[in-house]
Amino acid sequence: MSHAITAQDLSKHYRVKVRDPGLRGALYALVSPRYRDVTAVDRLSFQIEHGEIVAFLGPNGAGKTTTLKMLTGLLYPTAGTVTVAGCNPWTGGSAFKSRITLVLGNKQQLLWDLPPEETFRLNKAIYGIPTEVYEAQRTELVDLLGLGPLLDTPARQLSLGERMKCELAAALLHRPTILMLDEPTLGLDVTAQDAIRRFLLDYRARHNATMLLTSHYMADITALASRVLMIDRGRLLFDGSLNALVARTTPLKRIELTLAEGATPEQIARFGEIHHFEFPHATIDVPRDEATRASARILMSGAVVDVSIQDPPIEDAIRLAFAEAANTERPPAPPLVPLVPRP
Amino acid sequence: MVPSVADAAEPRLELNTWAVLRALIRLSATLELQYPANFFASMFGTLFWLTMAVLTVALFYSHTTHLGGWSFWETVALLGVFNALVGVVEGVFRPGIGSLAEQIRHGSFDLVLTRPVDAQLYLTFRELDLWRIADFVLGLSLAGYAMHKLGRPLDAAHALAFFITFASAIAVLYSVWLALMCLAFWLVAIENLPTVFDALFEAARYPASAYPKALRLVFVYLLPVAWTTTIPASALVGRLSMLGVVESVGVGCAALLVSRLVWRAALRRYTSAGG
Repeated sequence: MSHAITAQDLSKHYRVKVRDPGLRGALYALVSPRYRDVTAVDRLSFQIEHGEIVAFLGPNGAGKTTTLKMLTGLLYPTAGTVTVAGCNPWTGGSAFKSRITLVLGNKQQLLWDLPPEETFRLNKAIYGIPTEVYEAQRTELVDLLGLGPLLDTPARQLSLGERMKCELAAALLHRPTILMLDEPTLGLDVTAQDAIRRFLLDYRARHNATMLLTSHYMADITALASRVLMIDRGRLLFDGSLNALVARTTPLKRIELTLAEGATPEQIARFGEIHHFEFPHATIDVPRDEATRASARILMSGAVVDVSIQDPPIEDAIRLAFAEAANTERPPAPPLVPLVPRP
Repeated sequence: MVPSVADAAEPRLELNTWAVLRALIRLSATLELQYPANFFASMFGTLFWLTMAVLTVALFYSHTTHLGGWSFWETVALLGVFNALVGVVEGVFRPGIGSLAEQIRHGSFDLVLTRPVDAQLYLTFRELDLWRIADFVLGLSLAGYAMHKLGRPLDAAHALAFFITFASAIAVLYSVWLALMCLAFWLVAIENLPTVFDALFEAARYPASAYPKALRLVFVYLLPVAWTTTIPASALVGRLSMLGVVESVGVGCAALLVSRLVWRAALRRYTSAGG
């Protein structure tokens, strides 16, 4: 079976007008415009399998949205090829559009002054969903997302979380197999975020759907994505599991200690590098693969009454990865971890 | 129950333009029926506007018997046609394609483009201000009353000629409106484009022959204003030949074709630039 999404040497360059500041600059730009080429996406290649949930990581302006737009057919690439759900996004037409869905956390498709049910019915017509399929899919989505009481309330009167649930239902009525989710939990409270995540996992399990996700919430990434594509300035820096990324960028683990009476910094320093010492608390850093052994030794030494091994926050790992990439000479910027061709 | 992989395959889709059109019109009706007061507001507004317009024309005719060869009641018939077209512009064009720039700015246009529907069709009928049907009905009623005053009952041939030229007029107006709004893809700020359209269309309030010759040629050949009111009104009052009817169909079709090409060029630009 072919891949759900394949991108090969995908590139996108923009021509942007440059002008000097002030009125003079504005006039000059009008008479003799100058342009600069900006590389938004630079030779991205990756494959995503059916049923995989993959997260795009990268700072603002890294090229995540541009890539998503190329995968959905909204932008022509400058170079490279894309196949999504067996189609070329620009020539796939209705067959392609019926297999995908695009959910933008900061844009809405719900009709503002009307209940969500009306948007659903419009989508039924747009996607030409046969009535019995529509009823089945609608029932499933209403149950999974708990939309029952919301369906006859005008969208503008719904809370942000309720509206996002309805947005998702509207976007999934035609039962797409490929979901492009750009910040699907943007601005939602923790409970609503959690509900959306559980729903997405459930939808994937039921329909073997493939999801490509961008989010600024790390909890989205850790809860949903089995794999991350890290991009910065249009280039792929890392392709692999989140754990592999963390292990690669943060080789140390931090151990929190509750000190026993009379414990000294010298005693503690034998087990690892002291990060913080203030009786009765201390933290030390030890190499990741020695963390368990080190904790056992500390406990045996009698200098502490309790230990707890902490993983550094994932945000730190990602920040470090980008910092490392920024320090790397470019071009050619080698990936942090060799990109192993996926089976 | 977890469906099998076969169940997970996408449902068979039958894309249906008419179903989308019906759904959009139904939605607008649902929305508009929530605010029935708008109907009366629209009705009174139109009645007031029409009275003023007729009085202005009457003022002209207090100094002359003919305007560009048109008698008072012939000009009133044209005014009625003009107002019926205003109903189409305000009821369909402005809320629909008129929202294009805003949709591009807010990014909701992206969501339209990812759906299996013709984006032009969808945008055209996405939102309708159905109460503006008052302008349409009152406009045609005024034209009918003028015909009665002229003592020319409408026979089937004239009615057909009017129907055809009126449809062509809508096509021409739609095309000009669409092409103007498409400039939003190239220019960032287009707040003034509807004003350009309004100014142009305002010229259609009087018979094209009432204007100086140079301007008349512009309205016929360059900016197709003459085809919007003068031609259908001519058909109504029996001033238009068979050839004129055929020509108006040609102009209407050509306008639609050109505006579609502009639309496609605009979309190509959007998808190759963007960001």
